[in-house]
Amino acid sequence: MQIKLNRNAVGLATLGIWLLISMPSIEAAPYIPATDGEIIDQSTSNTGKAAAALVRETRRAHAVLNQQKNNLDLALRIAQHNMRRARIESDPRYLGQAEAALAPWLNQTTPPVSVLVLRANIRQSLHQFALARLDLEQVVAREPRNAQGWLTLATVAQVTGDTATARKSCSRLTGLTDAAVQAACTSAIDGATGRATPAAAALTQSLQSSRRLNREQRGWIATLQAELAERVGHIDAAEKYYRQALALDPRDAFATAAYADFLLDQRRAGDVLKLIPAATDSDILHLRRVLAAHDLKLADAAAMADRLAMRYAIARTRSDQLHLREEARFILHVRGQPAAALALAITNWQIQKEPADLRLLLEAAVAAGQRPSADIALAWLDGTRLEGRAMAQLAAKARRL
Amino acid sequence: MIITRWLSYAVVLAWSLFVPSVSAHKASDSLLTLERNGAELRGQWDIALRDLDVAIGLDANADGKIEWGEVKAKHAEIANYAMSRIVISAGDKPCTLSVTEHLLERHGDGTYAVMRFIGECHQVWADTMLNIDYRLFFDIDTQHRGLLKLNNNGHTRSAIFPASQPRQEFKVNQSDATQGFLDFVGDGIKHIAVGFDHILFLVMLLLPAVLIRTDQGEKGWVPVTTFRRALLNVATIVTAFTVAHSITLSAATLGIVSPPSRWVEILIAVSVVMTAIDNVVPLFPAALHKRPWLIAFGFGLIHGFGFAGVLQGLNLPRADLMLSLIGFNVGVEIGQLALVAFLLPAAYAIRARSIYLRVVLTGGSVATASIAAGWLLERSIDFQFMPF
Repeated sequence: MQIKLNRNAVGLATLGIWLLISMPSIEAAPYIPATDGEIIDQSTSNTGKAAAALVRETRRAHAVLNQQKNNLDLALRIAQHNMRRARIESDPRYLGQAEAALAPWLNQTTPPVSVLVLRANIRQSLHQFALARLDLEQVVAREPRNAQGWLTLATVAQVTGDTATARKSCSRLTGLTDAAVQAACTSAIDGATGRATPAAAALTQSLQSSRRLNREQRGWIATLQAELAERVGHIDAAEKYYRQALALDPRDAFATAAYADFLLDQRRAGDVLKLIPAATDSDILHLRRVLAAHDLKLADAAAMADRLAMRYAIARTRSDQLHLREEARFILHVRGQPAAALALAITNWQIQKEPADLRLLLEAAVAAGQRPSADIALAWLDGTRLEGRAMAQLAAKARRL
Repeated sequence: MIITRWLSYAVVLAWSLFVPSVSAHKASDSLLTLERNGAELRGQWDIALRDLDVAIGLDANADGKIEWGEVKAKHAEIANYAMSRIVISAGDKPCTLSVTEHLLERHGDGTYAVMRFIGECHQVWADTMLNIDYRLFFDIDTQHRGLLKLNNNGHTRSAIFPASQPRQEFKVNQSDATQGFLDFVGDGIKHIAVGFDHILFLVMLLLPAVLIRTDQGEKGWVPVTTFRRALLNVATIVTAFTVAHSITLSAATLGIVSPPSRWVEILIAVSVVMTAIDNVVPLFPAALHKRPWLIAFGFGLIHGFGFAGVLQGLNLPRADLMLSLIGFNVGVEIGQLALVAFLLPAAYAIRARSIYLRVVLTGGSVATASIAAGWLLERSIDFQFMPF
């Protein structure tokens, strides 16, 4: 309930921005196209036969579901299908459609476990971590051997800074899933709590005995290895792992963003611009391009920044908090407004507590000269013993505030 | 980054399908704008074509592209679908909503169908509660939200309708109207306070009000003998100015006349220059000097057009044009009276001293004439070089 109120408050505040943006566009004369044949929009973000087939498939499935309102299997498949579309088309719109397909079962007093797991994943991808956790706790209480439930719970717990629950959830995976997956679960936590070196070693060892991992899993683990290497200052190894991850899936936006951050830290902004195409559809990748252009003082850096600011403003209109971290980073490093960035970083810190969130909070606090905010970050840093040279340097600066 | 990736792959294990979205797109919103227009309700509803396609199928040939013809063929269906999913009630009874126009609009994340509609409410929805029950798309997209903008007497309120809060209530009472009126009073005061040309014009007319123009005395001015006389002068001047600018302000705002603003601005500058020069070297005929309120009236007509330009810039709600007009005028009046209350006693007190004639009246008029001449040049060549 508290979350809901909070979200509404943020929503009302940000609606003002919507008014500012949309007012001109509403008054900028809606139009009528000249000819009937004029293409005015796409029914999908992707064009081409595959996308059109996906559209037809979705529509057929919805029609069948309308006939068979009790068909749980079909509803689950539609929800999964929409989640796949959300990924393929980079469009969060389909997440709400996925959840809607499950609505009849979600309204039951005890929704099926399969439905709850799916909803938890929808919710966490919308950064509704507390709600996702409620679903997951129900899942593992009812099915203590649900690997998916424990794995997602570990993830949600760690994102929100609940390391104890995360660690406990990883340990429940024993015998329920591939050993390398469990090792990755644990290594991610160890890597963020002062044991990056043994975590990396454990991960490498578990990979040798595991042959059942698919391409995506291997790509994910390579990125994890890269980040662990980077954290303990093994720059060459980190680079090797990042390239490995991208070789497995060049379109992997998360690996690309992590590699771009690594390059930015290494003052290789030029390589970032080569890595990410200008036409990227992804806001998180676009941010990296803008940061690189800003570093290099490119002529069109300002124009790129303005375009990104516009995208953030549009995203904020509906009070989603998907972009808090990226936007705070943008405002701090590109716009050079530490006070405004710190405000966003603090709000973001209340929602998620990954190493990147901690670094952002510390950077903003140092830039704004705010010792009280820095103290929050320093206390967390001391408590977790998170490693990393950049982090240590920042912390030293913060302690001198 | 590790954790975010972790999230993404949690599900991959089971279904090998999920990565959190990293998109330039946003989730689904509709934009609903409602405006009170007297007892009538006017609205505009912008709904994404992408959403309508999921709901009722716009892309008839399923080629992934939506053509205008496909949308046009579905206009009635779109209207039925949308209007059956919203209930707007004034008081207890629902308003009858009818779509008057179908258009399109490009927003940041795609093209939206735009429906303009009017609502007939059984109750005049001034001084009542407006209930909005919003149900669009919640059955097919739990993350959909309705973003409402409610314009009431020039006041904009906003609200968000998520699936968890489909019913919301808004108070639309007279206090909003009063507030609107007071805002326009404020705008009027502000305009006088920052409208340097109007102030200077008034000052140029008011400085001689504590004097009498004769053939005797230093430079033809002698001080008035009573405060009453000075007050009477000022009162007639200010009243004449007020009456005059009210006439043209109303005429322009109501659209009866609309002189080009550039010429109005130029003539305002001319009025200041002439009045200022006249205080040093008589320009106007003696008949006008005996009745300075005539000058105030004549030039007041021009200044009124200037005020109208400001008022148009404020984007008035059509419904309450007269009210805001009066409010703005009252504000201008308050500003003028404040100026008089400040100026008159001081001028009266030192009217007989030579410093008043030499420095205040002559010096002030010369300075004002120079400034206004600068404005005149600026406004004539349409190039700003002066700092005010």
